[in-house]
Amino acid sequence: MKKILLVLSVTFLISGILYAQNQEETKKVRELGHTNQNKFKQMYDEFATPNMFRTASGAPGPAYYQQQADYKMDIELDDKNKKLTGKETITYTNNSPDNLEFLWVQLDQNMRAKDSKTPLIEADGVEPAATTDGFITKYLAEPFDGGFNIIAVKDSSGKPLKYTINRTMMRVEMPQDLKSGEKFVFSIDWWYNINDHVNGRGRSGYEEFEDGNRAYVIAQFYPRMAVYNDVEGWQNHQFWGRGEFALPFGNFEVNITVPADHILDGTGELINRKEVFTSDMMSRYEKAKKSYDTPVVIVTQEEAIAKEKTFSENKKTWKLKAENVRDFGFATSRRFIWDMMAVKIGGKDIMAVSMYPKEGNPLWEEWSTKVVASTLKSYSRMTFDYPYHKAISVHAKNQGMEYPMICWNYGRPDADGTYSDHVKYGMMSVIIHEVGHNFFPMIVNSDERQWTWMDEGLNTFVQYVAEQDFAEWYPKALGTDKKYPSRRGPADKIVPYMSGNQNFLSPIMTQSNNIHQFGPNAYAKPATGLNILRETIMGRDLFDYSFRTYAQRWMFKHPTPEDFFRTMEDASAVDLDWFWRGWFYTTDYTDIGVKDVKKYVVSKVPTLEAQKFAASDRSLRFANFSDLVFMVEEGSDDYDRIKSNGGIIEDAISLKEYVMDNFSPEERKNLKQPKFFYEITFEKPGGLVMPLIVEYTYEDGTSETITYPAEIWRKNNEEVKRAIASEKTITKIVVDPKQETADIDISNNSWPKRNKLGRFQQFKNKVKGQ
Amino acid sequence: MHKNIIFFVFIMFTTLSSFITIHKFYVSVTQVEYNKEEQALQIISRIFIDDIEDLLKERYDVSVNFDKKEKSSEIDKYLTTYLNQKLVFKVNGKKVNFVFIGKEYEQDLVICYLEIENIPSLETIEITNEVLMDLFEEQQNIIHIKKGNQRKSLILEKEKEAGVLKFNK
Repeated sequence: MKKILLVLSVTFLISGILYAQNQEETKKVRELGHTNQNKFKQMYDEFATPNMFRTASGAPGPAYYQQQADYKMDIELDDKNKKLTGKETITYTNNSPDNLEFLWVQLDQNMRAKDSKTPLIEADGVEPAATTDGFITKYLAEPFDGGFNIIAVKDSSGKPLKYTINRTMMRVEMPQDLKSGEKFVFSIDWWYNINDHVNGRGRSGYEEFEDGNRAYVIAQFYPRMAVYNDVEGWQNHQFWGRGEFALPFGNFEVNITVPADHILDGTGELINRKEVFTSDMMSRYEKAKKSYDTPVVIVTQEEAIAKEKTFSENKKTWKLKAENVRDFGFATSRRFIWDMMAVKIGGKDIMAVSMYPKEGNPLWEEWSTKVVASTLKSYSRMTFDYPYHKAISVHAKNQGMEYPMICWNYGRPDADGTYSDHVKYGMMSVIIHEVGHNFFPMIVNSDERQWTWMDEGLNTFVQYVAEQDFAEWYPKALGTDKKYPSRRGPADKIVPYMSGNQNFLSPIMTQSNNIHQFGPNAYAKPATGLNILRETIMGRDLFDYSFRTYAQRWMFKHPTPEDFFRTMEDASAVDLDWFWRGWFYTTDYTDIGVKDVKKYVVSKVPTLEAQKFAASDRSLRFANFSDLVFMVEEGSDDYDRIKSNGGIIEDAISLKEYVMDNFSPEERKNLKQPKFFYEITFEKPGGLVMPLIVEYTYEDGTSETITYPAEIWRKNNEEVKRAIASEKTITKIVVDPKQETADIDISNNSWPKRNKLGRFQQFKNKVKGQ
Repeated sequence: MHKNIIFFVFIMFTTLSSFITIHKFYVSVTQVEYNKEEQALQIISRIFIDDIEDLLKERYDVSVNFDKKEKSSEIDKYLTTYLNQKLVFKVNGKKVNFVFIGKEYEQDLVICYLEIENIPSLETIEITNEVLMDLFEEQQNIIHIKKGNQRKSLILEKEKEAGVLKFNK
């Protein structure tokens, strides 16, 4: 009984302090009531109500459906006039339970139309001075005419259909409603002027080289069906240039006619390889299919250089066929070098492919294809086996952009072939990132127009894992570095962003077009949050299983944010509503510290405080004071009084005596013999809830780390106390010693307060010392 | 259209990356802290290495590769000249000069340390930061200033290269 009291008394002491505070508060004006503002409040208000389409567990429901859009297209590139012309037939299948009165088709290229409103939504002023080029573009030049020219919209019998173009969206009216389960076949003929993606900016376009040749990377080039689903109805939010794409899955048969000396690759399987390959290319390709370590060059640099001046007048048609993809992209140029190798994923051979102009060498021939292969392995481990048959990395200057099976990536050496580390790592990271996009959002097909973070954030998180894998599998890629220098993922790297001016921060859950600081908000912060969940809050096993569950539940489907949040909890039994609320729905930051440390000793004599406390406490009021143990704070007024009475048990011997006198041998056996009692007050000036990770260091130099779960903050969001009974003196207490919670201010993280020099002073001292 | 359409990855602060997405974002971040004990404004400016390499090439016709350590003092010379022209501080209404303490590298950033001494009090500060604006139309220079617990920020760009901030005593 007494030993329990020893422990209890510490607890009572704490509640006594709280009690005293409560009493003070009652003297103030009566406060108003409030709604549930608890950081651990469940997310019922923010989350959509689960239904037959999407379940409360975060999985597709029994009535889940998605529409299908199949395309047959004939495309022709006019290299001389930089024009792209197409005829496409769309078969649209209405799998929804709804009748559709009309269809919405996306005309993304209209963002580049002369009358595009995209330039008009940017705040803009008159500069006191401008470069000549800038001045011409802004005030003198005619805007580039890069919008779609729609020639015809016809039904399957060739009869014209009524359509209305509202900027980047086209409404196609059908003769009658498209009922649930029905298909509608229609065709669109179109052409547009291709833009220069290097100077004009854009995800798609051409780069022109000094010799007059161009390398085309072509995407969102055809009128594309909008998504219709249970969440948005038609997702027909205009394409302003920032919030990217929402697209239904479908099958594609695409014939692309380009100059005969071009090399082309794109989404889908090349079905007329024998018509477009030379016999040399054919035999090299057969070799590449069996090469698992080294890329095999299909078109060499010498062969590409030999064609630079040919500008063939003849044409060649490349035929590609893709199943279950949400989009289609291709790249074509006579200057492309092409290499490939095989990589085994889940027992299947996948081709890792690279296409690049000679300007990319020697960097590209050495690393691109290996990075592609490594990425497919890492992502397949974290999600599901890569289901397509190839993944292509195309080198385009300044570009990093993703499409199914194909992506464009930057990273160009100087003209003399030398390159710096930041060009090398930049290239490797962007390839990992863009190839990774095959998984999010090309297969786990989230709505990018609405939520950039759902693909960029998740993808940047896996990118971090894949970068670390890559360095492990290809240590040569690091040169003299010890670790891959990932920029996003580790918690401390997000601190400058999260501690920034609140006027320029948006919650992650913000529609894509309206985000301040796009990169940190939609890429780095969600990726860091997932990394914190994985490394600190859930642990790798629980996190990885849940993350894979999400990816597998939603592969080839359309998930929403709630589907992700719910699945992560559903598969792990970890309540994360508090984490989603703080990290994704607010701009709160982490700041946790040690506020105060009090040291107590045991007293045989009642302290004044204890007398007052006992008098007011029902359970203690009638207790015999001689049965109680009292705690007195070292250095307090009472301490001196009791010490002079000889009432303090402060050394080991007197504590032992006390224990011998008061506990039976039986009880003593299981009794710890703490000498020191501490009450530590932790403060949380930051709005975010996080686990309280505390490293206690003792006088003998040993230390232990205790992690108090985030729930320690559930009843008091500002401050929490812990009592520690210790056999050794505590010499140091550090909160979040490894900086894994993105604590924005670590000046309050240590006791005793460390007088830490700022970064500036440290650097200055270093320079002076030299 | 163009300069306004900057979709891409934006990079900021130390996390930065010019990776990943579409276009490069042109940005630098400068932290200014008033150190009362030292009576000094201590400035840490983060600039993308590839941007400043391009700038030095274009402006001074020098080809410097920041990776190569032997050219470090030459780089310091150009950096000091350039920063002195493009980064101007007025404290309490008076123009003040900074000392270039040094630089270090962090991934694809160069971090410049500048110090303005003899600042017994900080009431107002006017900062003009035109760094890289002579090369990139879209350049944005972000400034964070801290005096004690007071934190303020400025985003400077072409039509707005300077800003004034006031601090409480």
